[in-house]
Amino acid sequence: MKRVKNYINGEWVDSKTKEFGEVWCPATGEKIGEVPFSTAEDIDQAVQAAKKAYWEWRCTPPLTRARYFFKLKDLFENAFEDISRILVTEEGKTLDESRGEVRRMIENVEHATGVTTLMTGYNLEDIAQGIDCTAERQPIGVFGVIAPFNFPAMVPWWFLPYAVVSGNTYIVKPSEQVPMTQTRIFEVIDECGFPEGVINMVHGAKDAVNGMLYHPDIKGISFVGQSSTARYVYKACGETGKRVQSLGGAKNFVLVMPDAEIDRHMPSMITSFYGCAGERCLSGSVLVAVGDVYKELKEKFIAAAKALKVGNGLQEGVQMGPVVSKKHREKVLGYIEKGIKEGAKLILDGRNIKIDGHPDGFFVGPTVFDEVHPDMSIAKEEIFGPVVSLIHVKNLDEGLRLIENSEYGNATCLYTTNGKTAREFKYRAVASMMGINLGIAAPMSFFPFGGAKGSFFGDIKGHGREVFQFFTDTKVVIQRWT
Amino acid sequence: MALTTFGAIMGFAAEMVGQSGNIYRNLVQQAKDHGLKETLQALSAEETKNHSLMEKTRRENVTEMILEPIAGLRKEDYEIDLKTEERMEDGDLVRIALALEEREKRFFSDASSKLPLPEAARIFRKIALRKQENITRLQNLGLNQTLKKSISA
Repeated sequence: MKRVKNYINGEWVDSKTKEFGEVWCPATGEKIGEVPFSTAEDIDQAVQAAKKAYWEWRCTPPLTRARYFFKLKDLFENAFEDISRILVTEEGKTLDESRGEVRRMIENVEHATGVTTLMTGYNLEDIAQGIDCTAERQPIGVFGVIAPFNFPAMVPWWFLPYAVVSGNTYIVKPSEQVPMTQTRIFEVIDECGFPEGVINMVHGAKDAVNGMLYHPDIKGISFVGQSSTARYVYKACGETGKRVQSLGGAKNFVLVMPDAEIDRHMPSMITSFYGCAGERCLSGSVLVAVGDVYKELKEKFIAAAKALKVGNGLQEGVQMGPVVSKKHREKVLGYIEKGIKEGAKLILDGRNIKIDGHPDGFFVGPTVFDEVHPDMSIAKEEIFGPVVSLIHVKNLDEGLRLIENSEYGNATCLYTTNGKTAREFKYRAVASMMGINLGIAAPMSFFPFGGAKGSFFGDIKGHGREVFQFFTDTKVVIQRWT
Repeated sequence: MALTTFGAIMGFAAEMVGQSGNIYRNLVQQAKDHGLKETLQALSAEETKNHSLMEKTRRENVTEMILEPIAGLRKEDYEIDLKTEERMEDGDLVRIALALEEREKRFFSDASSKLPLPEAARIFRKIALRKQENITRLQNLGLNQTLKKSISA
């Protein structure tokens, strides 16, 4: 049984805690490890190491800092399959999904190596007679990320490479449900040979989170998780004067117009709703049939959902794995019960799915509710599981109102062959990540990732060009030498 | 078994070229004709490279955003009898090599049109073309008339 360790100042160290959490394999339902619930003291130890390493790292030329990441990219390529498999084992997604996630993690490393152009400031001569002005981007100090369970490899890397390549030092707190993936990633970091204290990792739960939020020497926090916690993180960072980018939950609407090419796009729709067992903030959750597409869409969607191969993600060819934990499975099943009680019609029931050889796995099969009313819990709240709510609306306006009335604004998608409809949707829908004829509107590393309304608290989102602003202060220097 | 995911297709491709590589290494030991031996050695080396290429392609081209189910490919359509014996004549070796190259040409050609990822599809098309070249090469080996007759039989 593996008990993971913290990585502080270039060394693997035990936490000072006496409390440990359990790590499970969602496909088999077996306990596979233990994770320390690190204390505020552990966090402080990491912060002190990061603080100590900061000045020398900050003075290291950006290109030299980038070279560490070039090397890290190669090392990640070598460890690619190993990381992917560990991820499947503790999180439950399929191998393809896991490989896709690790790929996206590496893409952030690749993007960050462009620091010598992405971090530059700007200047203007003669802002007044003989006076020149420059705006220079400078690193700030120690930053940290508090990561969610659903993308254990990728999410910390939406932030870490940009922070560190800009000259800051860093602390990662992985989700206590899935600590092993980041632990393997930190073995690669260790192999890469970053200076001690530049990148640190502390495992844990609530105490570790609060230890980071309230530590006076942490200058900024990136958070990804559910909206209630995102709001808490945002408030705490406000109180303690930290920079913050806090990404919350989602309830994503996927609109299908009568002119959509349903057969062509059905694989994409299915991936949107059931990819990663619905445990992603970009997953489709409400399928909105616009006008007379309803009957055909319902029939074809149900047929495609039934055909999905559910099983242990480690088996090549499996298309949907289990949800992350027994507790989360109960939450998802609770929503299905709620949907029935509130009067929705359960037309595909995934509650009693049986997977050969995996009697104790945390599986929920593809589930579809029809006749869902927008006021029902299953149409409003984030379920984070393979449960689809089908709503029939008369026209695009009615569909757009559903999106507008949602408390979330993370992502939305539209299927159509009409450019005017697509333009109207793009223009009016209040969600920050949008797919047109695409079910997963996932910005790649060179575009920003983050939502609107209750899905995001802050100003500057994850990765993209803008993230360099989050990790740097713009110092304006006004000079007169004439 | 249907190959319905990018990973399943890439995994099968890697398994297939790995299997061919192992067979070629066995055939090399048995070949008597010098030209045939060299050709089989080259094919064996090519399969080693192809295996690495499949792993690299799977690693670098997997696109989380479009992991959509793929239809129309089945493993059993590319299964052939791979039984080899300890002592075979050169003509038999060529026949086996041709069967392996034909199978791979067919698979890579079929799969290239199913893959939604252009770079992976391009690599598959390139391998299919290379397999056609190998087939021609095997067919044109400067073997004596007896062997040629044996192959065509």
